[in-house]
Amino acid sequence: MANLAMAKNGSDRNRTFMLILIPVLVLFVAFNTFPLLTGFFYSFTDSKGYGAFNIVGVQNYLDLFSDARVLNSYLFTFKVAVVATLGTNIISLILAIGLSSKIKFKSALRGLYFVPRILGGLVVGYVFSYFFTYIVPAITGTESILASTEWAWVAIVIVVVWQACAQTTIIYLTGLSSVPEDVYEAGALDGATGWDKFRYITFPLIMPSVTTNMVLVMKDMLMVFDQIVSMTSGGPAQSTESISYLIYNNGLAGGQFGYQCANAVIFFILIAVVSILQTKFLNSKEEQL
Amino acid sequence: MAGLSLEHIGKKYPNGYEGVKDFNLEIADKEFIIFVGPSGCGKSTTLRMIAGLEDITSGTLKIDGRVVNDVEPKDRDIAMVFQNYALYPHMTVYDNMAFPMKLRKAPQAEIDKAVREAARILDLEKLLDRKPSALSGGQRQRVAMGRAIVRNPKVYLMDEPLSNLDAKLRVQMRAEISKLHDRLGATIIYVTHDQTEAMTLGTRIVVMKDGVMQQVDTPSKLYGEPCNLFVAGFIGSPQMNFIDAAVGEAAGKVTLTFGKNVITLPDAKGKVLKDKGYVGKVVVAGIRPEDVVDSNEYSEHKNLSETIDAVVTVYELLGSEAMIYADVDGGAISSHVSATNPARVGSRIKVAFDVDKLHVFDKQSELAIVH
Repeated sequence: MANLAMAKNGSDRNRTFMLILIPVLVLFVAFNTFPLLTGFFYSFTDSKGYGAFNIVGVQNYLDLFSDARVLNSYLFTFKVAVVATLGTNIISLILAIGLSSKIKFKSALRGLYFVPRILGGLVVGYVFSYFFTYIVPAITGTESILASTEWAWVAIVIVVVWQACAQTTIIYLTGLSSVPEDVYEAGALDGATGWDKFRYITFPLIMPSVTTNMVLVMKDMLMVFDQIVSMTSGGPAQSTESISYLIYNNGLAGGQFGYQCANAVIFFILIAVVSILQTKFLNSKEEQL
Repeated sequence: MAGLSLEHIGKKYPNGYEGVKDFNLEIADKEFIIFVGPSGCGKSTTLRMIAGLEDITSGTLKIDGRVVNDVEPKDRDIAMVFQNYALYPHMTVYDNMAFPMKLRKAPQAEIDKAVREAARILDLEKLLDRKPSALSGGQRQRVAMGRAIVRNPKVYLMDEPLSNLDAKLRVQMRAEISKLHDRLGATIIYVTHDQTEAMTLGTRIVVMKDGVMQQVDTPSKLYGEPCNLFVAGFIGSPQMNFIDAAVGEAAGKVTLTFGKNVITLPDAKGKVLKDKGYVGKVVVAGIRPEDVVDSNEYSEHKNLSETIDAVVTVYELLGSEAMIYADVDGGAISSHVSATNPARVGSRIKVAFDVDKLHVFDKQSELAIVH
């Protein structure tokens, strides 16, 4: 009897789990997996995004490699991603060390530094666009850097770093709080203070957080989109055209749907490869505690 | 190696709580000093003030004659062994031990020599390439010791270093630390709440309670002549028996009465009580379990009191000996007896106190009157 009751209980529980899981699974397949697969299919066509289309085989992929505009967007995106990832991590780590020390208003400051995270990318982009277009030139008396083909990318970096620091700082704070206090105390007695303390004790012990942040931020930065839309629309002269922006712009508005689908597939593979390589490399630096 | 001097050391926290009050102690070179007391008595705080991990809010701390109140921990020439070992989890055993010397920019050859020497002393030679996570508790503890030894500091500070080890290993490491003290000729300050560790290791013991130093003495004096009820109860396991007793006088002898039991004190002790005016007052009589003698085990060597009737309530066989807990008229007592003693729970037995070993304490001030 007891066994029977248990079996019944078990199947009740299974049914509950299924009821929770299936709706999510349906939504995920409908809005993620299915479009992904259709996109993959369209990458072998000359579709404009509407009307009839022909299968063109791997022609889109071959054309991508000789397209200067696509190449430029890759160069721009990787330049922004590398600089912004390093910038975000360095600034966040410094902030996190400051916020985990014994200072006044620590909780309030932690909350304040998290605000950029809860603002949308577009909102932040438009605010900074105003800032760079009107406020900065008024103070410096120079032209807005958003109008400069040479420097507009720096403005993008500043904005994405400003926004990304919020979450990255939180992850570093968690990492720092997991280092036992007595290890620092032992370090203080052994002579590890200041830079030595950071180099020999803190940094090696928060290496797992460094890996997490490097991979997450790099991925986000490679997919930079909102800030481009709101600040430069890819300009001036296509100098700030990120890959995501190019795919969106030319794919949906420019009649290159099939072609940009191919671009998206390449981009997807590239991000996956970069993330895997990063994880492998950084994991090897992590200490087995 | 060096001596230390703690003059009126105090620790007051920002919220007004006084963790340590007016702590005075001269520690000679090569002494093995133990700070002992219950949780929260300020023993660890005092140790951490010596280390420089806590600020000293009042008083003066000198190491080897130099005032070090405001000297950085690393510049005090001390090494500390932590309760949780505090090893660097990302470094090998070798690197853990080499770390303090590496930071002091010692030559590589010198570091290597010191680390290998420490590893040899502590039997860590085969573990040098391991990370702390791959070590047992006892091994980690030895690495923590090793890291301290490599420094060759003036003073070793140890904060409950054995409390995370199992009972058997603790006894073993206790002996190792004792040997290490002899071998290094080091000044050691050792914090523990375990009075057995305190008794076996220390050349002198500091008993603390509520941030106040109670008594500083050698283990034997502390055991034989505790200055107050707290020390008497804290040192010794099982603890000393305390019985409220009325001081009386009969036929020129001073007596203690509890319930219907009357015991006569030796003349010397009686005289002290009488001279201090305790006749007619209630005092606390203290007697250790080994000085409560069962009538089956009377020996001629002891100066025994009158017989006391007792009923056994608990019997604990410890192996070579046994503990008896018994009710007597006017109180309860415990007694160390031999394992062959026939008494069991419910037995009616007769015991007597070794009155030479009887302690008498003032009931109000709790201070010792006579030992």
